[in-house]
Amino acid sequence: MREGVSAKFLHEWIIMGKRSEPKERFCGNCRHHNVYQYPDLILCFVRYQKHEDPVVPTLGCCEEWDFAPQECFCLKEALRKDNERKG
Amino acid sequence: MKREDFLRKPVVPMKLTPRMSVNRLIQEFSNSGCFGAGRVSSACDIFERMVRDEQCTIFLAIAGAMVPAGLRATIADLIRRKLIDVVVSTGANMVHDLVEALGGHHYKGHWSVDDFLLYKYHIFRIYDVFVPEEDFVKADKAIMDMFDEIAKENEGHNFSSCELMWEIGSRLNDPKSVLRAAYEAKVPVFLPAIRDSEFAFMYRVHSKRHPAGDFLKVDTFKGVSEIVNIAERSPRLGMVVLGGGVPRNTVQHAALMAEKGLDYAVVITMDRPETGGLSGSTLRETVSWGKVKRKADKTMVIGDALIVFPVMVAAVLERLGDKFERRGLG
Repeated sequence: MREGVSAKFLHEWIIMGKRSEPKERFCGNCRHHNVYQYPDLILCFVRYQKHEDPVVPTLGCCEEWDFAPQECFCLKEALRKDNERKG
Repeated sequence: MKREDFLRKPVVPMKLTPRMSVNRLIQEFSNSGCFGAGRVSSACDIFERMVRDEQCTIFLAIAGAMVPAGLRATIADLIRRKLIDVVVSTGANMVHDLVEALGGHHYKGHWSVDDFLLYKYHIFRIYDVFVPEEDFVKADKAIMDMFDEIAKENEGHNFSSCELMWEIGSRLNDPKSVLRAAYEAKVPVFLPAIRDSEFAFMYRVHSKRHPAGDFLKVDTFKGVSEIVNIAERSPRLGMVVLGGGVPRNTVQHAALMAEKGLDYAVVITMDRPETGGLSGSTLRETVSWGKVKRKADKTMVIGDALIVFPVMVAAVLERLGDKFERRGLG
């Protein structure tokens, strides 16, 4: 799991909509992300082609990360769910 | 023709009653005999004659999102009852069949929704049907996994689209699936435009995953001989077309190449002939190519196939009764 996303940042970004999508490394803002179980899991075709388990957490990341936000809610909702889970 | 020849059949006003059956309603359509009602009643009569003709091979051509909109179980049922001998479809309809066979769903939506909002939620829209991306992606992964397995089990074999659809159908458990029903009933399923579907886009990923060349081999031309051979073997040929496009012409051209032409034809479409596109081309125009016989039993219904086809099938099933059995292509 990723650490270091502050409550203040989440509040500004998700609730107030003040900030643009973070350029932090998440599978959910990588070019290769496709929804597998919204919003928690994604299917990565790069991993699939390399014969690796292609189903990964939206909040995960790997060395192939290539920032290309799709203007979708995946990361935002995965972060919010994760934040709620942590209380 | 004399004047009285034009005035032989008066329009009989429709009489609608409580609890009337679908077939009874169609008979009232026939009494009217006008506009769409007349054509729908003719379509029912022609489909019934096709089904009762044991010498006729019946092709069902499917274009447009018929499976996402809820026709898959109807088509699977027709296949199991042997009321259809051959299916010719867009690749997309069979991909959507796979989506549901794997536990995914299509949802009732609305055409006026904010499409960019759908995009943000990873939801695809087909007019007023919604498909969540995850159901599509799970089908994508299943397709690629099946391609791996099929390639391994059939090393070097060149598959036609029809052979490939049976392989996929054999791996499904859903009794409502068109592909499963076709595999069990040994009804060929041709996808003449398979390259324009998720099967082909996932084929690219699958093939790149096997750089040594041990990936699935698909020969898109192989299906031409297969479908023409079926047409050549058949004493008579009939087609029911939902939409049009490549599936309709694939059936028509098979009839032409078999040097026969179609004996029966029902086309249900919303398309117009003025653009020159095949989907809207009239059956009279098709006669000029030799694809449909001049004296063929034929009609074209201008209407939504999602309304007309189920009504037609329900009426004909009612006429046939529970005990009717058809031999099928065999």
